Amino acid sequence: MQYSGAQAAAGNPAARTTARLPFRGMKAFVGNRNNLLGLIILSPIVLLAAVAPWLPIPDPLAPDIRASLVGPSLEHPFGTDKLGRDIFSRTLSGLKVSLTVGFAAATIALTVGMVLGTIAGFMGKTVDMAVSAVVDLFLAFPSLLLAIGFIAVFGPGMWQVILAISLSDAPRAVRLQRSLALSLKSRTYIDAARMASAPTWWLLMKHVIPNTIAPMLVVASIYAANAILAEAALSFLGLGLVPPEPSLGNLVSEGREYLREAWWISTLPGVFIVIVSISLHLFSDGIRENLDPRAAGH
Amino acid sequence: MTAYLIKRGGAVVPTVLGIVTVVFLMVRLIPGDPAAAVGGETLSGEALELLRERLGTNGPLLEQYWNYVSSVAQFDLGRSLHTGLPVTTMVMDALPVTVVVGLSSLVLGMIISVPIGAFAAYARSRGNVGADSALTTGAMIIDTIPGFWLALIFILFFSIQLGWFPVSGPIDWGDPVHVVKRLALPVSILSIGQVASVARITRTAVLESLNDDYVRTARALGTPELQVLFRHALRNSALPLVTITGLSVGRLIGGTVITESIFSLPGMGTVLIKAIAGRDYPVIQGVILLFALMFVIVNVLTDVVYTRVDPRVRLS
Repeated sequence: MQYSGAQAAAGNPAARTTARLPFRGMKAFVGNRNNLLGLIILSPIVLLAAVAPWLPIPDPLAPDIRASLVGPSLEHPFGTDKLGRDIFSRTLSGLKVSLTVGFAAATIALTVGMVLGTIAGFMGKTVDMAVSAVVDLFLAFPSLLLAIGFIAVFGPGMWQVILAISLSDAPRAVRLQRSLALSLKSRTYIDAARMASAPTWWLLMKHVIPNTIAPMLVVASIYAANAILAEAALSFLGLGLVPPEPSLGNLVSEGREYLREAWWISTLPGVFIVIVSISLHLFSDGIRENLDPRAAGH
Repeated sequence: MTAYLIKRGGAVVPTVLGIVTVVFLMVRLIPGDPAAAVGGETLSGEALELLRERLGTNGPLLEQYWNYVSSVAQFDLGRSLHTGLPVTTMVMDALPVTVVVGLSSLVLGMIISVPIGAFAAYARSRGNVGADSALTTGAMIIDTIPGFWLALIFILFFSIQLGWFPVSGPIDWGDPVHVVKRLALPVSILSIGQVASVARITRTAVLESLNDDYVRTARALGTPELQVLFRHALRNSALPLVTITGLSVGRLIGGTVITESIFSLPGMGTVLIKAIAGRDYPVIQGVILLFALMFVIVNVLTDVVYTRVDPRVRLS
């Protein structure tokens, strides 16, 4: 996983331009088998979740007492719950919530990681010590426990969940970015740029950020997948999104009481958690292979 | 070794103090007056003051902090706001269930995933890419399955359909068969949760060892392949395995909270979730503190085992 593009970037000019682009262009990104497979799986799901309000399906919150606990059928592909709400429609609605939480949490972790990690790794000394101490403190807590503690203080809800989840991912991102920045710091091309009296901000923008964004994206896609699982877990425990707003975790949790008579309420929405999370893992593998083609299949 | 232990033990002190500080700050971070948030708007001045005292949020902040740290140092975690029981007692009553479930899943997880990883590496080194990809992809897919969802599927299948395992009711520790049946599903769920990461690490480490000289020597001496794999290659992959075991415990702690609540096991996770529902902050703080301390202890143990397994680590 160690980033190896930096040497290439220092020498040959062709590699230089490519290393700037995180995936050597979209073409290479899609050209990778894992990325392509991930896209094929994720895009229809994202699309479906996005256009759900305009689809000819029942409202996710509308009860229909006559159709209580109806099994999967043509009219209700995923069946209905106790109140007769359509599970398929609720799943799509929950997907939107899960995807939002996943991407928001990963973006926050990535941003905090890039900023603090670069500062700590590149500036060194006191700043580094202070940042590292805080990071170590947060990493001393098991991650789900940190999220649970955060919710216990600030209460359940969408933004609380996003922040709670990024609270445990951000320190990991900071640590990774710090080590990446640290390893770049001693490269000859950085020394060369410094000798040409390049200002620090220029070094960071031109050399450090572009050379670390790709390995950070490898972990960020895993963070997104983990965030979706964490949101589901928190909602399942009643510490996530507040019902009746459907989230995938809420749906699985609601079906728990009806496991005996209505298996579809819990099981079918859960399948979507797995599918989304698999596609994000595929992206992570794909971006890693884009970075280091030798790692392909290894 | 003694010098190392003292040094490593000393490094724990700031971490523990940091954890205690974060847990202390939890209640103070509640927006507004924590006592009003816990007790509700209708509480009178006197009752509010009493509640503040029980939460430890009366007096200046530094004094609160000093009181909290000194009582934690004496293993006094306060009393539950609802039952009035000492938090230490509640936590200690719940601890055995959590530890039994956690340790059994850790061990079972290792028993399942280490051979998977070793065989994947072996298949790869013998040029059988297909078997390796199948095992690796399988591990990745398992990694993406949420434990609580799998738990419900297991309940649906093994308990409701087949009726093999009870999923609720008290645990009768005197009856081993009952205990095994009652804990089988939660322990399986938690061990499956570790398969992916442990198998992946084992695979990478074993793959590396299989290219080493001593493996070639062992083969040249006519050592049977299984022995080469398990005695030579796997043994030399012990270090990363120790590391991942330490990390697994962090995941396990999160997992137990969920699993205990699904299978209604009277462990620390259940105590925590109930306390959050009732905004019983002394209990919430106590459980989080204890879990975090357990995690720290495991990390220290991991480091110590590390030096036992590989003396080179100690010297550097």
